[in-house]
Amino acid sequence: MSAPRGPHLFKDIDTPGLTGIDVYRKLGGYAELGALLQRAPEEAIEVVKASGLRGRGGAGFPTGLKWSFVPKSTAKPKYLVCNADESEPGTCKDRELMEKDPHRLIEGMILAAHAFGANTGYIYLRGEFAYIQTILDRAIAEARAAGLLGQRCAGSGFRFELHTHLGAGAYICGEETALLSSLEGYRGQPRLKPPFPAVEGLYRCPTVVNNVETLMNVPEILRRGAPWFRQWGTDKSPGTKIFSVSGPVARPGNYEVPLGLPLSTLLNEHCGGMRDGFRVKAVIPGGSSVPLLPASMLDTPLDFESMTAAGTLLGSGGVIVIDDRVCIVDALRNLIRFYEHESCGKCTPCREGTFWMSEVFARLEAGEGRAQDVDLLADVADNILGKSFCALGDAAAMPVQGALKHFRAEFDHHVRERRCIVNRRRTELEQVPA
Amino acid sequence: MSVPAPMAPAPPLVALEPPLAWPAHLKSAVDEALSHYPVKRSAILPVLWIAQREWGWLSPAALKLAARTVELPEPEVFGIATFYTMFNLKPVGKYHLQVCMTLSCSLMGGERIYRHLAGKLGVGHRETTPDGRFTLSRVECLAACAGAPCLQVNDDYHERVDEAAVDRLLEQLP
Amino acid sequence: MSAAPDTLVRVTIDGRAVQVPPGTLVTDAARRAEVAIPIFCSHAKLPPLGACRICLVEIGLPKRGRDGAPVLGADGAPEIAWMPKPQTACTTPVAEGMVVATASAGATRARQGVMEFLLVNHPLDCPVCDEGGECQLQDLAFAFGHDASRMDEPKRTFVSESLGPIVKKEANRCIVCMRCVRYCDEVMGEDALTAHQRGVHTEISSFDRQPLACEQCGNCVEVCPVGALTALPYRFRARPWDLRQHVTICPWCSNGCSVRLGVRGSEILRARGTERRGVNQEFLCVRGRFGYEFVNHPERLGAPLIRVGGQLQPAGFEEAVTFAAGGLQAIARRHGPQAIAFLGGENLNVEEQYLFQKLARAVLGTNHVDARTRHTAPVTGDAVLRATGGGRPAPTFEQLVRAEEALVLFEDLQAEGPLAQASLIRGQHQHGVHLTVAHARRVKLARAKFGGAWLAVRAGGELALVHALTRAVLDERARHPEPAPLDPAHAAALATLARALPAVAESEAATGVAADQVMEAGRRLLAATRKAIVFGRNTAQHPEAQALLQAIENLGWASGAITAGRSSVMFLGAKHDSQGALDMGLVPDRLPGYVPLADRDHYGAAWGATLPGEPGLTAPEILRAAADGRIRALWIAGDHWLRSAPDRALAERALANAELVIVSEMFLTSTARAAHVVFPAAAFAEKEGVTVNCERRPQRTARAVAPRPGARPDWQIFQAVARALGAAWNHRTAEDVYREIARLVPGYRGTSWATLVPLGSPWAFEPARVVAPAFAASHDGAPPAGEGLWLLAGGMLFLQGSLSHRTEILPQLAHEPRAWLHPAEAARLGAIEGAPVELHGPSGRITLRLGLDDAVPEGGVFVPDAQVGVELNRLGSPSGAGLRVRVQPAGARAAAPSAAERA
Repeated sequence: MSAPRGPHLFKDIDTPGLTGIDVYRKLGGYAELGALLQRAPEEAIEVVKASGLRGRGGAGFPTGLKWSFVPKSTAKPKYLVCNADESEPGTCKDRELMEKDPHRLIEGMILAAHAFGANTGYIYLRGEFAYIQTILDRAIAEARAAGLLGQRCAGSGFRFELHTHLGAGAYICGEETALLSSLEGYRGQPRLKPPFPAVEGLYRCPTVVNNVETLMNVPEILRRGAPWFRQWGTDKSPGTKIFSVSGPVARPGNYEVPLGLPLSTLLNEHCGGMRDGFRVKAVIPGGSSVPLLPASMLDTPLDFESMTAAGTLLGSGGVIVIDDRVCIVDALRNLIRFYEHESCGKCTPCREGTFWMSEVFARLEAGEGRAQDVDLLADVADNILGKSFCALGDAAAMPVQGALKHFRAEFDHHVRERRCIVNRRRTELEQVPA
Repeated sequence: MSVPAPMAPAPPLVALEPPLAWPAHLKSAVDEALSHYPVKRSAILPVLWIAQREWGWLSPAALKLAARTVELPEPEVFGIATFYTMFNLKPVGKYHLQVCMTLSCSLMGGERIYRHLAGKLGVGHRETTPDGRFTLSRVECLAACAGAPCLQVNDDYHERVDEAAVDRLLEQLP
Repeated sequence: MSAAPDTLVRVTIDGRAVQVPPGTLVTDAARRAEVAIPIFCSHAKLPPLGACRICLVEIGLPKRGRDGAPVLGADGAPEIAWMPKPQTACTTPVAEGMVVATASAGATRARQGVMEFLLVNHPLDCPVCDEGGECQLQDLAFAFGHDASRMDEPKRTFVSESLGPIVKKEANRCIVCMRCVRYCDEVMGEDALTAHQRGVHTEISSFDRQPLACEQCGNCVEVCPVGALTALPYRFRARPWDLRQHVTICPWCSNGCSVRLGVRGSEILRARGTERRGVNQEFLCVRGRFGYEFVNHPERLGAPLIRVGGQLQPAGFEEAVTFAAGGLQAIARRHGPQAIAFLGGENLNVEEQYLFQKLARAVLGTNHVDARTRHTAPVTGDAVLRATGGGRPAPTFEQLVRAEEALVLFEDLQAEGPLAQASLIRGQHQHGVHLTVAHARRVKLARAKFGGAWLAVRAGGELALVHALTRAVLDERARHPEPAPLDPAHAAALATLARALPAVAESEAATGVAADQVMEAGRRLLAATRKAIVFGRNTAQHPEAQALLQAIENLGWASGAITAGRSSVMFLGAKHDSQGALDMGLVPDRLPGYVPLADRDHYGAAWGATLPGEPGLTAPEILRAAADGRIRALWIAGDHWLRSAPDRALAERALANAELVIVSEMFLTSTARAAHVVFPAAAFAEKEGVTVNCERRPQRTARAVAPRPGARPDWQIFQAVARALGAAWNHRTAEDVYREIARLVPGYRGTSWATLVPLGSPWAFEPARVVAPAFAASHDGAPPAGEGLWLLAGGMLFLQGSLSHRTEILPQLAHEPRAWLHPAEAARLGAIEGAPVELHGPSGRITLRLGLDDAVPEGGVFVPDAQVGVELNRLGSPSGAGLRVRVQPAGARAAAPSAAERA
């Protein structure tokens, strides 16, 4: 077995048989679950708050704080929902985590649920993760058989039931209120906030929705304490984070690194730099919904604050490397088509704006752009930004604004020359040998 | 105003075909799905999945069965089923080839894989080969970006594929 | 607004300060400040959605210091912290000190952006769009849009489709506001519409694009803010600016919806809801929206007819009046006024009803006056009044929406009161109204979807069930110290009553309803602080109606649905002005305003006549008396008696035996064909007047079109005949008649046509006049065993009364006539679906094709009573607990058909 792939979540990730409860236990899993469940729930919230753990799904909201919003005294049942809809283009970390280490997620969910008093949990998987559902269902059955789930979790007085729920193809269901709509059996469209899910979520009951990676951090944080977690990362972005790196780097893949690591270090050292003959032109650092960074800004540290300062977002950790043979207009055309396809249709700006931008991008890329088109795109993006019902509209608008900010010349070129700036169209690129 | 039109023929009072029912071997799966939620409607996606796995697609009769099972109005179930892209409202082939076309895969040749398959099979998006063996679809991000380009054959992921790998894959399929 | 001023929230919108209750949405606060904020997806009857985004505004709140006090600026005014993003006014509740800007640069830009987006895929086909001219999108584009479009990509397109005979869909025009889908679900309870696909491909349609299986109400069309959904019957028939709009009251049921008729020339081209007026606002049912067609019908009577030599022949109006007056006078002289009876009038306005009974009593001297032609047994004139609280303030639709518990007794509200049904459905959906529905069939409101309780009462067990519910309520009161104790005056009487009623458990056999279900219903009714009891014509027309109405009065008081101060019991009359007919004294034992005959001098003095003091005969008694020749002259006003009388054979004999039959009618019905004088009557849209709905709310009707040439409002006909008989009536308008009503009739005093517009208040008696309750119970236990199936008659949404047959659309929507059986019952009888079956009653038989419906209980046969060509009253009148009929396959002798015959 080679060196560990990461300091924490990826330390043992490739251990053979880890999907089984025995191997997970051998590595220390579930060992202190019973003891942790004996402690007062508020303690867990305090420890997680102190650890500074922030949501790993994209928004980066402090996890302990989110849990603390759940009303203590309520007659209603409470729910914990794991957002395993992993749909943000460029992101494929949760899939590997669940595929290889399902019990850590289960343990994390038991502990999170205990912290704010949920007795039922659901793992909402994107529809394509049917095979992961099989893995998780088997692990849940093992945990149940071992007395870790059910009426008395790990011998404690805590009751927790856990089910998987398979989506069926809708990016929007990664938005937490849309996810809850979908889980309840409605079309997966977002709902009004407030009320926030912590107060009125699933079945109008208090609900916490946490990302897979977030929840998988929980067992070790509670076992080892906040300072242990804070050995990595920055003050405001503690811990490690898994980044999915895609594009023509030498070694694309999922990497667990301490937050605050410069993006260039991730690309050059962990991913082995670019493939031969490719040069980086821009990087989308946090999944397709965030503004891209030009090659000149690759030294930006990978943490929430630095990314915001650089005009983009850490997001979900989906790092998409765009090389210099790729036309930015074409790359954006691809992404905007994605958002048009995934817009749920509920609100006007997102529904109509993504369609409109998609049409304009297609025309621009085809060399049929007009002088006013570039400003029009900027204007349409601005008319979506902050005016749509949920963040999907913003997610479509921000990359356009980022691209216009850093690569306006490429857009203008398309209009002026009535053709794509890149000599070889990306679709004509030779396949890079794996 | 014209003279009242002759009365329209009465709609059939009972369906000519008996409504679809769950085969015996699926009953426990349906009951299990229903048992996971405090309200029946929550089981609509699991129930639609059970139906699609059984029959390959969601016929109107299957949608009505699902509606009955979770006690939802039939039109609403139709709306739910069409909201999600993975439900097939038309029959699909034995193997559903779903090629990711979103940016990460596109950067690594996803479009070429799609074009290769389209040419090889002679079908376009959401079309099925005449022998009913393959349906080809363009799909959006499959969460396999680090393994781009990627395609799914039914539920199975195939990553870092090229034309030759795709050809081999198709040949190996039973 | 009932909130005290200090609980109001102060908001400033575009510089205008308003105070509104906490929780008010910014859109509603803006309306109060007279600031227009455009909306599409929001609707008064639906919860906020926030989807269309056209109502984006900028919102700020006072900055607050660490101590929570507002931070004041240099000018002493609070500093405002503006939210970074524009907010949807339709979803944002007000807060103290909130400042809203709808015209700031940011708000204007946001709204213009949304407007531009709305037009991205909206086609520019306004010239051929039925919505053109009254389209909210068109108006807003005019107000806020750009003059030139920046969007010149190909638009996404859908295929146009018809979703059945009513709804035409042009999805290209749809702006996905979801009003139609949500209204269909939350207000209509139909769920016929859904959104297909998603994103820019979102398309509203039905299941698999099938014709809509629904009530065909067309409210989806009404609430559509654009031309995506239009009404097929109106398609391309007119431009809205060519139509004169007249708001009047719908004549199709007792709910009294306001309907906006669009008229071109002398023709009504459409009917719509009224947006913000009336008890219904935008709501109409299929009858209200498409049933106006009979007004335009070519077979409307145009000239009076008189019988000469056995033939009806056209005559002049004066000639007919002379003929009628002469005939009445002759019979009165020969046989006394007791030989003359006046029937019908539930479809008339109160002015007409008032004059009709005045003609009978003051001019001719008979108390044989009864509008309740459908009744099967005598019922006193104040029985419904007493059952609904003795004249105490009546429940409104808004109370139905907000009730905690609603008990619906023996009515299918889908047919009998679509707005009442929609109010309960919306209340259930949005406010958690719990429904308890007592009905032999599983009617719509009893569906599982609405989460209520269905008391599947056996036919004939209605009286026993109301008694059992009363007993359950009283038992519950006895068990639990009363939070709201009974008036001591009634406590003893109700205790006595409780002892007289059988125990709930002993009623099971009679009611067919499990005792615990009855107990639960009683407990809920008693526990609710806001409650409603709704009953209607199936009670009033029941052979045991008198006892049933008494039982409902008992239940109302026992449960607290009626208190000293107000009533929560609603009566749905059979016709739009059944309530008015009771109020105006179209009953043989009460004068207008429920004045007892003993106090007849009140009217005698005013009318300058000596009024008869003996109660007259009720309608079912008149039927028998006329058939026996004791009544020799009949005036039937606006009533197709051969259909409405409970026994057709008797009615035919009565008409044949009568020496004089006068009919005022719109059509030459078979009843009119049997008359000696027929006066063509004006239709609802052709005359002014007042009609009283089930809230007891008098409402003004309007004249939208001139009467069909030759036709007159009934009041003019009554007055002409009265004058010919020597009365000095000289009303020049219906309003003039109403002035007399407002002067004389208790409950109506002090009102005027002016006070009834746009929406009058339900009438109530002054406290001194309200009727004190009386408690009594008569019960015979379970209905006697007998042969045959119980006949379950009742209304149907699409066909209600004979006028629905005179429309183009309604009969198309209805099933062809059938007798409906439970499949198990049909199997027992060896009857095959679609094959003819015979129904044998005491007086005759009818043959109908068989329909199967598992909502019909075993042991019963359901025959809607307004089906085209079905003369249900041929079977004979229900008596005792109801009517039993023998059902058998047509042509079969005694035995079931053999297998070969069936094949």
